[in-house]
Amino acid sequence: MMQGQAVSSSMGNKLSAVGRGAIRIEEVVKIYDPEGAAVMAVDHCSLDIAAGEICMVVGPSGCGKTTLLNAIAGFHSISSGRIYLDGELLCGPGRPKAEPGADRIVVFQNGALFPWRTNLENVAFGPIVQGKLSRKEAYEKARGMMADAGLSGTEHNFPGEISSGVRRRVEIVRALMNDPKVLLFDEPYRALDSLTKSVMHEALLEIYYKNKVTIFFITHDLEEAIFLGHRLAIMTTRPCRPKKVLEVDIPHPRDYSVLTSPRFRELMDETLEAVHEEARKAFELGEKEG
Amino acid sequence: MNVSLVAENVGTSEAPASSDPVVALLKRTMPFQVVSDDMLKRIAALARRATYTRGETLYRVGDRADDIYIMVSGRVEHALGLGSGARTLNQVMSSGDVFGWAAFLKNVPTRLATTTCLEQAEVLMIKGDDLIKLFESEPAAGDVVMSRFATMITKDFTLPEELAQVLNIPRRGEKAGLSGLALTVYRAALWLKSPKPYLMMVGFAVFLSFWYFAVEVWQLPRFKEMPGLTAVVKEWLSEDPAYGLSIYTPEYYQHIWVSVRRVAIAFALATGLGVPLGLFLGWSRTFREYVFPIFETLRPIPILAWVPLAIIMFSGSETPVIFLTFLASFFATALNTMLGVESIDESYTRAAFCLGANRWQVFRHVIVPGAMPYIFTGLQISVGVAWFSLVAAEMVSGQFGLGYVINTSYTMVRYPTIIIGMVTLGAVGYATSAMVRIVGDYMMQWRVRELALGGQ
Repeated sequence: MMQGQAVSSSMGNKLSAVGRGAIRIEEVVKIYDPEGAAVMAVDHCSLDIAAGEICMVVGPSGCGKTTLLNAIAGFHSISSGRIYLDGELLCGPGRPKAEPGADRIVVFQNGALFPWRTNLENVAFGPIVQGKLSRKEAYEKARGMMADAGLSGTEHNFPGEISSGVRRRVEIVRALMNDPKVLLFDEPYRALDSLTKSVMHEALLEIYYKNKVTIFFITHDLEEAIFLGHRLAIMTTRPCRPKKVLEVDIPHPRDYSVLTSPRFRELMDETLEAVHEEARKAFELGEKEG
Repeated sequence: MNVSLVAENVGTSEAPASSDPVVALLKRTMPFQVVSDDMLKRIAALARRATYTRGETLYRVGDRADDIYIMVSGRVEHALGLGSGARTLNQVMSSGDVFGWAAFLKNVPTRLATTTCLEQAEVLMIKGDDLIKLFESEPAAGDVVMSRFATMITKDFTLPEELAQVLNIPRRGEKAGLSGLALTVYRAALWLKSPKPYLMMVGFAVFLSFWYFAVEVWQLPRFKEMPGLTAVVKEWLSEDPAYGLSIYTPEYYQHIWVSVRRVAIAFALATGLGVPLGLFLGWSRTFREYVFPIFETLRPIPILAWVPLAIIMFSGSETPVIFLTFLASFFATALNTMLGVESIDESYTRAAFCLGANRWQVFRHVIVPGAMPYIFTGLQISVGVAWFSLVAAEMVSGQFGLGYVINTSYTMVRYPTIIIGMVTLGAVGYATSAMVRIVGDYMMQWRVRELALGGQ
């Protein structure tokens, strides 16, 4: 269990104890359609994410932050630059596209539980297809992990039968089944109402405290970003690159009382201006194109 | 049962909090997880320790509820009683679980469950009133703990379970084979209870009476030459039909059988070849570039245009008919399957790759099941066009079948028999299409349940 005081005083030390899941993004450039329109989505973006850190990537919709996530996950290639995971090259010169793998699992914006599999079958999917566990062992482990996450009783339901909040939790458990180094969140709570969102945030932190993973979390919700993150990387709009990186010095574990604390408000004020400027730029860009 | 005060065991305040086993345990429990160490110590000071032996009862339904329980070791089981229609919902609690939250209820709180010890158990007991008093003095922490208790209680009454019972949908478990049938029966019962069947009967009644009046009573222009309702029904039900075909003649069933058999063979072939072709068209871009243009050129050619070629290519009268029937079915199935693959959200394939699946596993576990709804839509269309092209083919060649009946009855001026053939085609066609739908529902329970929850 992580202790509050320890985080605030020596966050770096505490995090390095996890020892795996450090991401290094080095001068990454992504240009869409280089022969034709040559749209620069990511421009010489560098970012270091410590092992076990929750790094919140904040920026207006369409600013290019998802491109970065897709590059780490191995869905898209990059035009130049390098991305490392724990010192190993994921993609870089001569290898523009990373191989997707179970060490970096994405939790998708609209949820990607397979609707044709029950929740239990979804959670057990990873180890079975990788041939790591037999079907029976995988189901047993899945049952245990679902119980730990408070999801008992939903094992034999299909994802379409449970609320969207519960679906997100099942999806996170499905990822954790594979003992990943990194979880990549692509605005997963975007479609949820604010009340469900607040419950989801606490549940996510609870899961994080139990399973130490690095979290790369994309959002445009500033409150969400400050509440969850160790650090915020505020991105510029098209092309995307960190404009400001901010340490959130509110100790973990956190709960919802943090939202009303004076420090939280200060951090909000500090970031709001930077984010607002980018949001305005994105809006104007959108208007020109529209 | 033995009770001792935990407070005696609590170490001196200088010692690190997490070294205290009670505080450490509280930290592991869901409601107390996020509380500060200082607060946990104060909670721990309220706790008493108790041990139970196997088979002992901690409390019964209706007992006065004083304490909140936290499991230290061992296991206990709840049997939940909800009012008079008591239902047992056996829930087993083990280390770190919290129960007995009825002690938080205002006014004289009573137990809602009977809890018995399954194996030698050690528990912490905290008086609900003491805890509430403590929280009142520390409202910030108290609020967090109570809201987490509320979440925990909600989880005890898991929604999907209740929902499944209300909807009377069997949960998928060991008896997965049965649930599909049960679901179909359930839907049929629901349909009978709704006004739909009566509206349907009214519709038929209006249609049939219009036929009767238009032809036999009013004798409207254009309708005069048509066989009347009564003439058709009389002929159809006659033991000695004037034109040789009624429900009492074996030929009638032979014609139906021949047509059904042809459609069945053609449909099976079209499905067996069309579904894989569609899957590969949707899955492999290279394959699609080779094949799809040919496919799209052949598809719009009407079935009747294929008739001469079919007769030249295949000998006998049976194979050309089956070939023609197959052809239309095949295009419909393959096209819909391909669209089904294209409709699959990219997130699903990406998620599968993330979870370590290889290309073949993605095909098997994502592409095939993901395209299933479209495939079955395609199969329903395909059965329809199979009948459509069958009749066309039977009119041209063949010596049996419903299309043949309709065609020969026309040339031999047996007008009521034309109608008998048409109505029989309609009924048999509807039945085969319904069968495809039932098989589809059976294979895609996830979708049926999704739609059922959406109120459809």
